[in-house]
Amino acid sequence: MSKKRKCISAVVFGVIIVLLLIGIFAIGAEQRAETIRETMKDAVLHESVKISFLGIKDVNPAVISAYVVTGIIFVFALIVRIFFIPKFKIIPGKFQMLLEEAVGMFDGLAKGNSPHRNSFLGAYIFTAGGYIFIGTLFELLGVQAISVSGHPVSLPAPLADINGAISLGVLSYTVILSGGIVSNGIKGVFMTLKDFSLPISMSFRLFGALLSGALVTELVYYSTALSFVLPVFVAVLFTLLHALIQAYVLTMLTSIFYGEVSEKSPPKPPKEKKKKDRQTKTNDRTFEVVA
Amino acid sequence: MNIPLNIDWQQILLHMLNLVILFAIMYFLLYKPIKAFMEKRADYYKDIDEKAKAKLAESEQLKAEYEQKLVSADEEIAANKAKAMKEASKSRQEMLDGAKAQGDEIIATAKKKASEEHDRILSETQKEITDMIAVATSKIVGGEDVSDSFDTFLKAAGK
Repeated sequence: MSKKRKCISAVVFGVIIVLLLIGIFAIGAEQRAETIRETMKDAVLHESVKISFLGIKDVNPAVISAYVVTGIIFVFALIVRIFFIPKFKIIPGKFQMLLEEAVGMFDGLAKGNSPHRNSFLGAYIFTAGGYIFIGTLFELLGVQAISVSGHPVSLPAPLADINGAISLGVLSYTVILSGGIVSNGIKGVFMTLKDFSLPISMSFRLFGALLSGALVTELVYYSTALSFVLPVFVAVLFTLLHALIQAYVLTMLTSIFYGEVSEKSPPKPPKEKKKKDRQTKTNDRTFEVVA
Repeated sequence: MNIPLNIDWQQILLHMLNLVILFAIMYFLLYKPIKAFMEKRADYYKDIDEKAKAKLAESEQLKAEYEQKLVSADEEIAANKAKAMKEASKSRQEMLDGAKAQGDEIIATAKKKASEEHDRILSETQKEITDMIAVATSKIVGGEDVSDSFDTFLKAAGK
């Protein structure tokens, strides 16, 4: 690129930026329909904005997000299953390596934390981890949906809704409980029920972590002056970090608790045998004394 | 029942249904086939490793066998060498003994011949001397000139 052309490009770019800034501040933002308190409350509780779920029920936008994420994952998985997996090679390419790394990571996590029983756990944490990660990043796409009242709504992360977080927390707890029952029967149930607060802590941890990111982003977007450059760092960084951290935390916790309850306790030695052993020892001693 | 925080059981169940569907998708379309492939590859490398280990063990065994053979061959060579040396030494001794015996025999024969020659020459000389004395005596007794007789004697002796 010649020097003259570079100068022209820089000037054009500068003019566009200046015009945009003038336009934004000269025109000004439209008077907001809701206060910051209402915006925050809506971001947390999703009480006012509802979307119709297949005409059956009006639901929070996160339910729609959850099904959209599942749809995206389904299409992706189908493409991978049909076009890529049959062509897998012994020496993997980059994409194959990425897929194998993802499966291997969750499988390793399951095997490491629950060495006794882990085949189902591996598949579950792979699903949960993938869902949390992709679901959280989904927020960045800003997919729009129409609410029941006719306003456009940007679809949030599925787990930014407390119902989504509770369902994942409860499901994880159910998986842990199933591991306990399969491995230790009734004893496993008691071992799992001992940590009765687990589903609540799991759910609210997820909800709180994802919500905090959403709130910060919401706050930043609320002010027009802060809507430049800053969201690129705040929204992307918060979302990415939460996606990674929460996916790791939930899968790690699930696998640790699953490993704990599915560990088979060693059978107690029979008491009668001990008595017999003692008697034999006493007899031996008697013989020794006699000798 | 109105639960605070907008918690809705129906929506929780909808989320759960979504998660169960997602689990089925992830398990059957991604996790299971990818893990199966990874296990297949692990088996493939395990098989190669086992084959390599078996071959290594076999080669170690062969090496040990060959080393054993080499050791026994060395021992055999040393034994053969010692045997050959012994035989050579024995043969040399025999040859030396033979040569010595032959030499002794030659010397003895030579001595014997020399003695016989000596005796023969001595007896011949005695006989000639006797003859010459007899001739001389006869000449003296026959009156011949003594000076001629001495000349004749000396001539005969010079022969």
